[in-house]
Amino acid sequence: MSAEPLVARDLRKVYHTRGAPPTEALSGVSIEVRSRERVALLGRNGAGKTTFLKIASTLLRPTSGSIEIFGHDADRNPDRARPLIAVVPQEGKPFFHLTPREQVYTYLRTRGLSREVAQTRTSKAIKQMGLEEVQNRLAITLSGGQRQRTMVATVIATEAPLLFLDEPTIGMDPFARRAVWEALRELTRKGSTMLLTTHYLDEADVLSDRLYIIERGLVLMEGTAEELKRSVGGTLKVTIAGETQHAELFRSFGTVMSDASSLTVIVPPDRLGELMAIAVRERLTTTVGPVTLEEAFMRAVGRSINEDE
Amino acid sequence: MRTSEAPPSYRAFRGLSAFFWTEVRVQSHESTAMATSMVVQGVLLVFVFILDRSLLPVAFLGAIIFSMFTMGQRLLNEAAYIRIDHKVNELYLASPLTPEAYFLGMAAGVMFVYLTPVVILFVLAEAVVGYALPTVLLLVGTGMLVWLFSASFGYVFSTFFRDNRAIWAYASIVFNGFGVLPPVFYPLSYFPVALQPVALVLPPSAATALLQVSIGATSLPTGAIVLAAGALVAETVAMFLFTIYWARRKVREA
Repeated sequence: MSAEPLVARDLRKVYHTRGAPPTEALSGVSIEVRSRERVALLGRNGAGKTTFLKIASTLLRPTSGSIEIFGHDADRNPDRARPLIAVVPQEGKPFFHLTPREQVYTYLRTRGLSREVAQTRTSKAIKQMGLEEVQNRLAITLSGGQRQRTMVATVIATEAPLLFLDEPTIGMDPFARRAVWEALRELTRKGSTMLLTTHYLDEADVLSDRLYIIERGLVLMEGTAEELKRSVGGTLKVTIAGETQHAELFRSFGTVMSDASSLTVIVPPDRLGELMAIAVRERLTTTVGPVTLEEAFMRAVGRSINEDE
Repeated sequence: MRTSEAPPSYRAFRGLSAFFWTEVRVQSHESTAMATSMVVQGVLLVFVFILDRSLLPVAFLGAIIFSMFTMGQRLLNEAAYIRIDHKVNELYLASPLTPEAYFLGMAAGVMFVYLTPVVILFVLAEAVVGYALPTVLLLVGTGMLVWLFSASFGYVFSTFFRDNRAIWAYASIVFNGFGVLPPVFYPLSYFPVALQPVALVLPPSAATALLQVSIGATSLPTGAIVLAAGALVAETVAMFLFTIYWARRKVREA
């Protein structure tokens, strides 16, 4: 058996709901997460990210396929896998009648940590998440972002070998998001491994060592952020606002992507001048910037990550 | 490196004590709910006091058993709220805390906090009626069995719903239906004779039937006493074991 943190092979999950046709949420997903890696799953709503995370975190049984956590079969023997993992659930909220400090501390105690270790780690996680000022206020009085930070603090304090984070920074302000990123980086430096889902492409870009793009239950692409960006076919993107009719004019420059309100052309740097000359001649409003994961995602999926099914 | 360590061997109730205290801490903020947990019992006791004070010894015992029974409804609400509204169950269930410890810790935590008004009610009952020690011991034993049955039932019941509002409606029917309609607050002899065997196999009324016999308010043949006691114990054990199985199964269907 493999001792990698996570090895999933050909996972399928079909949901059977009474009165509705069966829904295939995963159609043969294979994912591997290596030790100390931070891996992101990118996908639109309903792509299958959360289903995968739930199976990996032993909270859902796959229809077929295999999944191992540090060599333990997480489907057949979840009790062996659970002590090795910790999960920030999607849209999870702390107990409203606990303070952030109590939430983190009591959770660590349920995991079997001693009082001393639990106290030390609680203080550290509360500080890392910037919750010192509200650490003794009941969660019911906290903002949505503070509650989410409490959830993340609870999980990072475990220092579990493998962390699953389902949209960990949702609802957080930019400063809080950066604090989470730094805490997660520190954890991987100390030896933890993590798998996260996110809608924030900038977060996936700066935080993850590797990414998987998932759409309709299938892995469409896998690689580092740079590899995915390179796959787009250029390093620069020219966005032409309010314009969708001139796609043919720019097709010879490289990949052309359009949505309802704009045209995006991926162009190699040596042909930028030529393209801009056409744009000026046609009196088009353009913006030039580096290729991002958004373009890689658009190219792979055909739609923006923020478009729903 | 921690990842090379083997995980600890499986212990059925690992994390129980810590999760129990977590739940106690959570529940102890619900002082209003604690106070209102005695409303039905209080109203019924007032009715009995006005209409027929000779039934107060029966009604007090029924009120205490009913209080233990309705703790299952509180557990049902708590388990559903945590799962549906907070989704924090996933945090705990994907951890070394076992599913059975999660269920029992929550049940015991709810019971511990809501025991306070029950103790007050018991003290009042002792002051007004003054039960003999065997009856008190029987009350403790049957009360615990009724609690364990209803907590187990409530936990299982909570897993069938995806909407809290639907749960509250059904839970109210089930718990008030089985706790108030059968002879819990009134003597078994007042219940239709043809339905008395049914009352003897329902946990709350089986418990109160035994208690009523112990204070001489009801007389039952030995076979009926054995039936009530046997049903109470067997149903509680069966329901508890099923809940352990169910808790382990449902954790994979989050």
